[in-house]
Amino acid sequence: MLFTLPSYNFISAPLWIVTVLHIVTLTLHFLAMNFMVGGLAIVLFGCFKNKQENPVVEKFIRIFPSMMSATVTLGVAPLLFVQLVYSKPIYAATVTSAWFWLMIFMVAMMSYYFLYGAAFSTKFIGMKQRIYLTIALMGFVYVSFVYSATFAMGEHPDVYQALYAGNQSGLVLNPDVFSYIFRWMHMLAGAVMVGGFFVVLLGRDNEQAFIVGRRFYLGAFLVSFALGIAYLFALKDILRLIMRSPAIWILTGSIALSVLSVFWLYKRKIVLTSIALLVSFVGMVIVRHIVRLIYLKGSALAFDPAQIPFQPQWSIFIIFLVFFVVAIAAVAYMFKLFYGEQV
Amino acid sequence: MNYPFWNVGIGYGVLMASIAVIHVFVSHFAIGGGLYLVVAETIARRNQDEEKLNFLKKLSKFFVLVTVVFGALTGVGIWFIIGLLNPAATEVLIHNYVWGWATEWTMFVTEITAAILYYYGWKHMSGRNHLIIGWIYFIAAWGSLFVINGIITFMLTPGEWIQTGNFWDGFFNPTFWSTLWLRTGVCIMLAGLYSLLVISREKPSDFKVSMVRFNAIWGLAGLLIMVPTMYWYWHAMPETITVTALKMMPTPIKALTASFWNAGVIALMLIIFGFIIPRRLHFITALVIMLLGLAWFGHFEWMRESIRKPYVITDYMYGNTVEVAKKDAYKKNGYLSEIKMRTGDDGKDLFLHSCRTCHTMSGYKPLKPAFDGTEKEFIQSVIMGAHKLKGNMPPFWGTKKEAGLIADHIYKKLDQRDLSEIYTLTGKALGAKVYEVRCGRCHEIGGYNDKSEVLLTGATEESLGMILDMAGDFAPEMPAFTGNAQEKKALIEYLLTVKE
Repeated sequence: MLFTLPSYNFISAPLWIVTVLHIVTLTLHFLAMNFMVGGLAIVLFGCFKNKQENPVVEKFIRIFPSMMSATVTLGVAPLLFVQLVYSKPIYAATVTSAWFWLMIFMVAMMSYYFLYGAAFSTKFIGMKQRIYLTIALMGFVYVSFVYSATFAMGEHPDVYQALYAGNQSGLVLNPDVFSYIFRWMHMLAGAVMVGGFFVVLLGRDNEQAFIVGRRFYLGAFLVSFALGIAYLFALKDILRLIMRSPAIWILTGSIALSVLSVFWLYKRKIVLTSIALLVSFVGMVIVRHIVRLIYLKGSALAFDPAQIPFQPQWSIFIIFLVFFVVAIAAVAYMFKLFYGEQV
Repeated sequence: MNYPFWNVGIGYGVLMASIAVIHVFVSHFAIGGGLYLVVAETIARRNQDEEKLNFLKKLSKFFVLVTVVFGALTGVGIWFIIGLLNPAATEVLIHNYVWGWATEWTMFVTEITAAILYYYGWKHMSGRNHLIIGWIYFIAAWGSLFVINGIITFMLTPGEWIQTGNFWDGFFNPTFWSTLWLRTGVCIMLAGLYSLLVISREKPSDFKVSMVRFNAIWGLAGLLIMVPTMYWYWHAMPETITVTALKMMPTPIKALTASFWNAGVIALMLIIFGFIIPRRLHFITALVIMLLGLAWFGHFEWMRESIRKPYVITDYMYGNTVEVAKKDAYKKNGYLSEIKMRTGDDGKDLFLHSCRTCHTMSGYKPLKPAFDGTEKEFIQSVIMGAHKLKGNMPPFWGTKKEAGLIADHIYKKLDQRDLSEIYTLTGKALGAKVYEVRCGRCHEIGGYNDKSEVLLTGATEESLGMILDMAGDFAPEMPAFTGNAQEKKALIEYLLTVKE
């Protein structure tokens, strides 16, 4: 061969851009996902008076399929970016738990169809609907669990290497439950908290919905706070490294904003609550990102994404940015057309 | 070799196909169906055809449930399965095409939003605005096809990217344009087939007849586009690929031929039930046509994937993730030093990473029929000369010792009796089996690498015996004859009958 074949060991945009895009899209995905999971939990278990006649409950059930679309669509981008940067540990972990990982899309599809089944029902909220929605929720719990277990495993190369050495069938789930159980439960509780916020938002003119949403918001906040603390202590030695990184300040700020959001919600200051919740949320996603970096840098892989060679592809990157803006504009335009004519 | 190997019992090809073919069958409908809906709605509104509009509303519901749910999630499924089956190749694609994929994602966001608003907008939106959303949907959907087509076709024909590494050289590769228009034709065909399925459930009426004709036109229009573009596609592929396939790869050729038959039968059924006896179109008939469409797609994708063998990215990475760029390193240091995730069993690791992507022992493309009744030395030699085997195999660039470890691993799983005992054969029949197992993988009588004329002209029992004794000296890739005396005698007897 008279020429050298192209290398693929490069990143085609500055790492900080990829990281920002990853965090932004992951935040959006989590928000949509939390609407789903939290909303489902509240619709099913919330103590509404006359739930069957509550228009907010009906609205949620009708919107669930569309929000599921948003969850899936918004989940594509962060998965792409995380696999771009962290391909080696992520793929290794997913292969180790291959069957559980592969089942995710089938379970998600099943949940999706059950959401449509509930949304197309004429009777709110009958037994059939409850069953459909419960099955959908169980599906999301499975998806979130496997994601947590697998991505946690991706941060511990020693774990997946040892597991793989013993079993290559793909029927292995991360046995180091302690490393991710609090994180997973914290995220579920957080989802209920965000779900409570959306109930409040959509039900701001419905006192019953507001009360239920607010109750779930506070309760879930307390639970997720406790689980978050438990998770921090479960990190053991890594906690010390976090305390010495910017993550501790971001985390502190996020917790403070979460507390403020509860306060503002009880004061019915929805806009301030939204801002505090959103900023806190972004902070948590950033902390999550930093924790992964700390784990991987300290692992046997000694992985530092900053070491990946940079080989720009500016033309296609600019095209992506243009289409990104065009997509936002197109979506906004379509919503304007849609809601502009709604009676 | 940077990644663990998922040792799943099912053949990789089967697993990939079961998700991928279903997805493309739905996703192409998602695109063609989008065009169908806006064109049909435009016509219906112009003619103030309420019956047609009601049918389109019904079709929209079906469309959303199939494409937005099933289509989108199976697309996620493909993303998951390629990362499990070949993370190395996926890594190459992501690093080179991440912004292409990100661009496709922006189209996807637009497309999904438009699909949902289009469906829910039937109730209250004006015709003009509803159609605007419909057209936005179709443009975004076709745009996503445009992008993903560049990435998929790159795998078969990377073109100048092999030398330049340039994004655009790889994206607008030799088969990009032909495949884009071929797939567009497929989208239009599937729009017709899916819509036929929905209309077939309606009660017999003049309206049903008119819609059946309308949908049949779509199906046939799609097929008409597919004929010249398939020809274009075949000739856009480098001759090194097509000539090799015709010479020694029956799988893609059979798949391509089957796809022609599928298309022909679809066309015939569309003509008969679309125009001649449209009133006789029942649900089962429409379902059969759909299944033929699915079969067409299955055969086409099977052809596309298998013709790429032995590569997963032509001239760059073999299907078992061996990288062409690392050839010298492999030959110097072997494969084991490159395998990052080990099981502790070197033979197993080497087998998984060298062979298991394509071969199981007893199931998909099984190795047992190829090696039962043979010896470790024979297996080791076959591995070292794998690139000479019929079927367009990747070369083995590991060390001879590593080939021996793989041979050991395979040998333990074989039936180790003699061929005569395994197949209860004697005489010429045994000779034919011996030829098939020990010679026929490289020398097909009347076919691939046929040496029978050279071998058998003037051959006697004695001369053939001498040739078999010297077999291992003819070429580095050729195994020595390691069969027992009974097999040798049977083989000679068989070859002499072939000569006659």
